[in-house]
Amino acid sequence: MRPILLQGHERALTQVKFNKDGDLLFSVSKDHVICVWYSQNGERLGTYNGHLGAVWTVDSNPSSTILASGAADNTIRLWEIKTGKLLKTWELPTAIKRVEFSEDGLYLVATTEQRMGHLGTILVYPINPDVGGEQADEPSLKITLERSKATVVAWSYLNKYIIAGHEDGTISQYDSKTGDQLENIQLHERGPLIMDIQMAPDRTYFITASKDKTAKIVDVNSLNVIKTFTTDTPLNSAALTAKKDFVILGGGQEARDVTTTAARQGKFEARFYHKIFEDEIGRVRGHFGPLNTIAVHPAGVSYASGGEDGYVRLHHFDKSYFDFMYEVERTRAQH
Amino acid sequence: EDLIMESEASATIIEARRRLLEEWRAWRSRVERDLADEREDAGLPPYGVEDDKDLEDAAVIE
Repeated sequence: MRPILLQGHERALTQVKFNKDGDLLFSVSKDHVICVWYSQNGERLGTYNGHLGAVWTVDSNPSSTILASGAADNTIRLWEIKTGKLLKTWELPTAIKRVEFSEDGLYLVATTEQRMGHLGTILVYPINPDVGGEQADEPSLKITLERSKATVVAWSYLNKYIIAGHEDGTISQYDSKTGDQLENIQLHERGPLIMDIQMAPDRTYFITASKDKTAKIVDVNSLNVIKTFTTDTPLNSAALTAKKDFVILGGGQEARDVTTTAARQGKFEARFYHKIFEDEIGRVRGHFGPLNTIAVHPAGVSYASGGEDGYVRLHHFDKSYFDFMYEVERTRAQH
Repeated sequence: EDLIMESEASATIIEARRRLLEEWRAWRSRVERDLADEREDAGLPPYGVEDDKDLEDAAVIE
């Protein structure tokens, strides 16, 4: 599994994301730039320029026509993917930490930071899928977070719920029509942040990653914890693999906290766990700093990781990866 | 004797994995059935059907 090194960012990566078809990979970084790459060969297709601060988050709509980004310059921007043209800018009082399109592409959810005089919010904007059309100026829903700001948000299936991970280690389930909080559970330890939430393809469950060194798979309806993955390092990202029942976890202590040789030799690792048995099955090293973000190709044929070191590493899975099976899976597969 | 203990231990692990696999599959089929019902109520085809159609169309073009 030889990685392709994507060089184009000058500072730490914050999020990498494939489009729905999997032919494109988007990456955002603290260097203010959004890059788009061909996921097959790692060739850079272009950049989207305009943000005036660290870009924290990116997502493309299901038809791969519109890109949304959120940044430390307190703006959410919509871009035409094909041309790089800026379609819309929403200005907000604080930084935007996460954006995500709903599965039908008709809504965008975003979470904003808490700052002096401003509580954190979760915003929903209606999206006009016509790239030449007008976009709404105001959100259709605004949830103000009195208790604990949200670090990450995601949509459930059928736009039924908005799921948010909070600074206090809890997970909330909101009715996406009314904004009412339906559930709030202490999923992770208080204090260490929930850094990532990624939905399964059908959006009936999701995986979280926390600085408390665990990742958890949770049912989107009941919020029951289905699986827990325990590691020895603070986690920044967790991704589910299509085709195989694995999860990929990334994180790592800051370089200043570990031996400098580890950083120099590129020993920061993506960790593979079995999704059902919760065992660690392998590691892929290579980054020179913590892994900030991981994304898996929607068809499960490759994955990308973005590091604190400013690199994106794109890995195409090989035959041995697809052949790997536990004995019980093998017997079951034959029946 | 060590060999017997080892094989008992691995039999226990295999049994535990089999149970985990069955629990997972039971949970998934429950969830997928509920999703299919909710999609039907919303007047939508079962999850993934549109995508499969896209792929078939793509194959025809080739």
